[in-house]
Parts: sequence; C-alpha cells; structure tokens
Amino acid sequence: MDLTRRQLLGAAGALGLPAALAGCGGFSTSDGSSGGASGSADTLTFTTWGTDAEIAGLRAAVSRFEESSGATVSLNVVPYEQMFSNIDAQIQAGNPPDVFRVPYYTFGSYAGAGQLLDLSPHLESGFADRFTPQAWAAVQNGGSPYGVPHHTDTSAILLNLPALEAAGVTDIPTRLEDAWSWDDLAAVATTLRASLPDDQYPFAYNWQGNGVTRWLSWLFQADGRFLTEDLSGPAIDSEAGRAAVEFTQSFFTQGWVPPNDTVTSSTYAQDTWYAQTVPMVWSGAFSIPDAESTLDFEWGATFAPQRVRGGGDFGGNALVATAGTANPELAAALLASVTEEESMRQFCEGASLLPTRADLVEQGITFDVRPDLAPVFLGQASVVRAQDSAQVASPDMASIITVLQDQLEEAFVGGQDVATTAQGLSDGIADAVR
Amino acid sequence: MTSPSAAPAGAPVDVAAPAADERGPSPGRARRGSPGEALAAYTFLAPNLVLLGLFVLLPLAWAVWISTQDTDGFGAGTFVGADNYARLLSDGTFWRSVVNTTLFTAIVTPASMALGLGAAVLLDGALPARGFFRSVLILPMAVSGVATALIGVLVFDENSGVLDGIIRALGLPGVAWQSGGAAAFTSVVLVTLWWRVGFNMLIYLAALQGVGAHLYEAATLDGASAWQRFRYVTVPMVGPASFFLLVMNVIYSFQVFDIVFVMTGGGPRDATSVLVTYAYETGFVTRDQGYAAAIGVVLLLLTLAVTAVRWRTSRTRDLVE
Repeated sequence: MDLTRRQLLGAAGALGLPAALAGCGGFSTSDGSSGGASGSADTLTFTTWGTDAEIAGLRAAVSRFEESSGATVSLNVVPYEQMFSNIDAQIQAGNPPDVFRVPYYTFGSYAGAGQLLDLSPHLESGFADRFTPQAWAAVQNGGSPYGVPHHTDTSAILLNLPALEAAGVTDIPTRLEDAWSWDDLAAVATTLRASLPDDQYPFAYNWQGNGVTRWLSWLFQADGRFLTEDLSGPAIDSEAGRAAVEFTQSFFTQGWVPPNDTVTSSTYAQDTWYAQTVPMVWSGAFSIPDAESTLDFEWGATFAPQRVRGGGDFGGNALVATAGTANPELAAALLASVTEEESMRQFCEGASLLPTRADLVEQGITFDVRPDLAPVFLGQASVVRAQDSAQVASPDMASIITVLQDQLEEAFVGGQDVATTAQGLSDGIADAVR
Repeated sequence: MTSPSAAPAGAPVDVAAPAADERGPSPGRARRGSPGEALAAYTFLAPNLVLLGLFVLLPLAWAVWISTQDTDGFGAGTFVGADNYARLLSDGTFWRSVVNTTLFTAIVTPASMALGLGAAVLLDGALPARGFFRSVLILPMAVSGVATALIGVLVFDENSGVLDGIIRALGLPGVAWQSGGAAAFTSVVLVTLWWRVGFNMLIYLAALQGVGAHLYEAATLDGASAWQRFRYVTVPMVGPASFFLLVMNVIYSFQVFDIVFVMTGGGPRDATSVLVTYAYETGFVTRDQGYAAAIGVVLLLLTLAVTAVRWRTSRTRDLVE
C-alpha cells in the first residue's frame, strides 16, 4: 500500500497521541495497573516503597491475605523519592490508594489532616494488645488508631572493631544494662580523638535529613520531652533539653564528629563509617544486610548510651488506610492480617527490621543476615517508651522537624549557645503546634 | 543584515551596517493573509496552544490562586488574600534565598556563557581531536541533574572526596566544602558550570557556523587583530545566540533545584538555600503549600522581570548576517 507523507504523519499522530497522553497522567506501577482507590468490593490498592527484602516480605503477607480472604490486592511499588508526592497528589485528586505505608514521623500529618481511616470501628476488641505500648502509641491520633504499627527500627552503634582495638577501646557493652553513659561515651571519644589522625573522627551520628528526629534520642535519654503530654505545646526548654543540646553540640566543638556530620549534610553518617573516616556510627538495623555485603573489616554493634534512662528513636513505618477507601472493612482486615505473627516475623527477619508485636519482641527474632546482632537492636528498641513515640506521632511533626533542623544547624555549625538554642526550639515548636 | 549596526564607535570595521534594500519587511508592513491562511495557521497552532494553556497557563493561574490560601494541600484551604506575600517580607530565610538565587544567577550566567563561547571559538577552529573535545564538553548535558549532583558529592565530600584528597596530598589544608557556607556555595557553582558549559558551547558552535568567513577576511584586511576580530565580529554576530542563552541561563539559574538539593540541601545554615529549594521545603516538608506557592509566584515575577529588562536592552538579539 502506498502512503502519502500526510497519511503517514496522520497515522503516526493517531498512534502516538494515546501513548503520549498516557505518559502524562497517572503513576507507573509495578504491575502495570494505575494507582488510586479501587471501586471493586473485593479489591484493594496498596502503595508502598521498600528494599527487595521488604517487598518480598510484603508480597508474602499480601498473598497470605488474598488466600484467606479471597480479595485481590494490587501492590503498587514506587521509589521512596516519589512515594509521598504521589500519595499527596492522589489524595488531592480524590484518588488515593486504599492502603499505604508511612513513616511514624509522617503519620501524624496525614492523620491530623483527616486523610486516614479511623480503625476503631473495624478492629476486633483487644487488637491493641498484640503490639508493644510504644508501637501502639505511635499510630494514635486524638485517642484513636489510624494505622497499624508494621515494624520499627532504632539506632544502635555500629563498630569498626579493628579500628577501636587499635585505639585501645576494647570495653564494649554487650548487655543493655551495661550500655555506656554519656560520660563513658565522652571518654571513649576522647581516647579515639587522641589516637586518630586529624582527618578521622571518633564517630558520626545519623541525624541527616528527616533523621533529625534521631536527635530526640538524646533528649529522651536525659528523660526530657519536646511536647507536653497533650501534645499541645513545647516542653523542650528544660534541664534535659539543654543537656541534650549541650552534649550534642560538644560533638563538634570537641572534634568527635566530622564537621560535615550536620543535620543538613548530604553525606550520610553511614557512608562516613563505610569510608572508615569514623570507627563508630549510629545506625538502624535496616543497614545490616548492606553493611555485611559491603564491608571488608570486622564489625559489630553495641547499645546507644544512656543518661537518666535509655532512649532511642522509634523509627520504622506504619500501614494506614485512607479515609476515602471504598472498602474500609477489607482495608482494616488487610492491616490486621499483615501484622499477624507469621507475616511480621517473616518480614522483619528477612529485612533486618524490628517487630512491633509484643509476643515477637518477647520471643525474639533471628535476622537472616548477622543474626547475632538481632538482640542488640531488640534490646535497644525496648528502651523506647510509649511517651516518646506518642510525641513523634504529633500531627505537627512536619513543622517540628523543620524547627529541629534549623535550630540544631545553628547550634552545631553556627555555634549558637545552648540557652538560645533551647529557647529557639521551644519558640519554634510553639509556632508549629499553634 | 536585518539590524542596525552593532559595531561601536571606534571599531575598525563596520561589518554590521546593512544596506537599506537588504532590510526585511517590518512587522507593521507584513502582508495580511487570506482568511483561509489564518484558519490554517490557527489550526496548526491549536495543539500547541491547547497544551500551553492546559499545562502551563492553567497551573500558573492555579498556583497564584493557591498562593492566596492557607492550605496544607489536603481539602479546601482558607482564603487569606495577600497574607502569604506579607509574610515573605519578614521571612529571613526567604530573603537569604533571594540573595543566594540572585548571586548564583549573577555568577553562573555570565561564567557559563563566557566559558561556552570560549570553548566554542576554540573548538570551531582547526584543533586536533576537535570532535573528542566537543564530546567531552557536551557529555555532561546527557547526565541528569541529580546524577551530576551525586558526582559533585563524590568530588566535594570533605571527608573522602576527590578534591580534598588532592588538596591534602599537596600538603594543603582541606576545604570545608560541606560545612563552610562560602565553600559550599562555590561547590554548587562549580558543579553547575561543569554541567552547563557544554550546552552554551553547543549553541555558540551552531551560531558560529552562520558567521561568514568573509567577515573575518575583511576585518583581517582592515588590520583587525585576533582580539578585535573576536570582539567586533564574533561577539556581535552571535548576538541572537547570546540573547537566547542569557534568557535560558537566567531561567535555569532561577530555577536551580536538583544540584543544590542533592549536594547541600540548602545548608549549611541556609548558605546555599535558593528560592526553589526553599519553596520545596516549605511546600512538601513543612506542608505550608499556600506560602510555597507565593514563593513560586515571586520567582516567576523575578524571572519575567529579568527577561523583560534584557529583552528591551538587547541590541543584537535579532542580528543575523
């Protein structure tokens, strides 16, 4: 058949237009389906991000739910960088997924804005009892659960054992009750500072980016709070708050951390440890598989230090259902199912993450990679208190994170004094929760 | 030639003075087409106009509307009129970002154009391995901004970066590329230049192809030196390319985001915070989307103002041989 140029261009345009328009709209998915709440009575959409191990655990849990319920779950895996811009756009367009994964420090923003499903009417009596108190507190908003705590993670100290031994640091805590005090940590850091060359430092702390909430671990260790008990005002300008600022500021003035280990730095603390610029780094258990496959030196882990008490960040993620889901009962059933013992154990052991179920915490789990380190991270997670995790679930956490970043940057890089920083934190948090 | 002379007083050659009969028809004297031709023209323009309206003008109008709201992006916002703009006046981080953005633009735009023109002139000549050098300079264009910034992090990491490694190997103290404000700003500028010079060179290379050899020959016969040939022949004759690049570089510079976001996150202490990173932080981290939209509108106005000023003051934007 002969084609004129006009016919050819017309045909190409007709064929290309739908593809071009398809490229403009919607969001790519792992299984080719588009995102958005399902209309079918027995179908759910579930948007998440995750490592390969996490996705494998989630797929197994979802398959288990599909078999038991007869429902279909469309698992939509997106890169973390796109996750919440996608979710926000879908919510704004009135087309959100039925279920999605969310960090605890972001959970409050959605729950407080009325975008999540109140699970109270959909969960069986006593459902809360399956979780640790601190995990359950992290998914509350106004006294009601708006999600389920799927897993947690918290920071312990990863150690370059040969480097520490070379510096004479050999007394490393192996039991939670023997964890270093702040003074012990200072002594270790001073020893390392004296023995390391100028371009190496004793440790690095993982407070970069949204990890700034991990600074709160020092506040909790000093038995402080950043919000009042009803989460309505600041409580950080206290003896504990000032002690936490003063001690962490000394990391920079004493040369215990690299100058670029700031809260806004683009270099993550863990990379600094990988590069052997520091022999110690605070890190979550999630990094164990990566470290094991990357590092060529002997490494271990120990507990984070304590002051008045132990304290740590309640990291990890919740699973939530959106307020507009067409299938609230089914969505709640999925959330309950993926937090069953078998699903949570398989997920946490495969991905080196910590369970939120009380029974699994009590029994213990065994990581697939470096199982010897699981007790360290489980022990570290046990010092997190419900009063700590409940504060991080504040609906105003997004604004509070910005306040923490600004004020700690001023203290660490700008040399702002302790009293001014504590006052700045307090004023900023007061504005944020107003 | 379609433009009045661009050669300044004292120039040894008047290469740009056109003869009156060479001037094209002015817009005011354009022949009016038949209604059929107009219809055809609008038919051809329609798809672009629809796309422009749908994906540029409508979102712009929407952004202006959002900038008058107090909203976290969920549900209906509260109309606050010009309150978000009033807040900008007393926001120190906003003004720091304005200064940083302006300084970044003022440094990167002329530097990338000058380096691009210099490279283009060099590589337009009979240089050995000319194709190789052109490819090397153009290659960064093929790399995404985020990847470029990640390369920048590898180079400028003050613990284990390549650059500080070299500096220390020379016995000099390392530079605080990440924890020092001025050094961090410099690192962002240097990476941006590495990324953008190739684009400028490419446009200038194309423009140089249109400059006739006879102009240089005439200038040489009139006794013009190499510098004078460059200054009074090359520079005016690539005027339209310069105008295009100026506008594009200003727009790119005002909109810089990925390199700053990945390399420095706006820190330390807002030393590299620019308007787009600040708008992003405000809109998507703090979730104050009305205020973020107001920052975006200010950015648009600044870009339009700079473009308009340059449009009115450029004498060589339409200069062709």
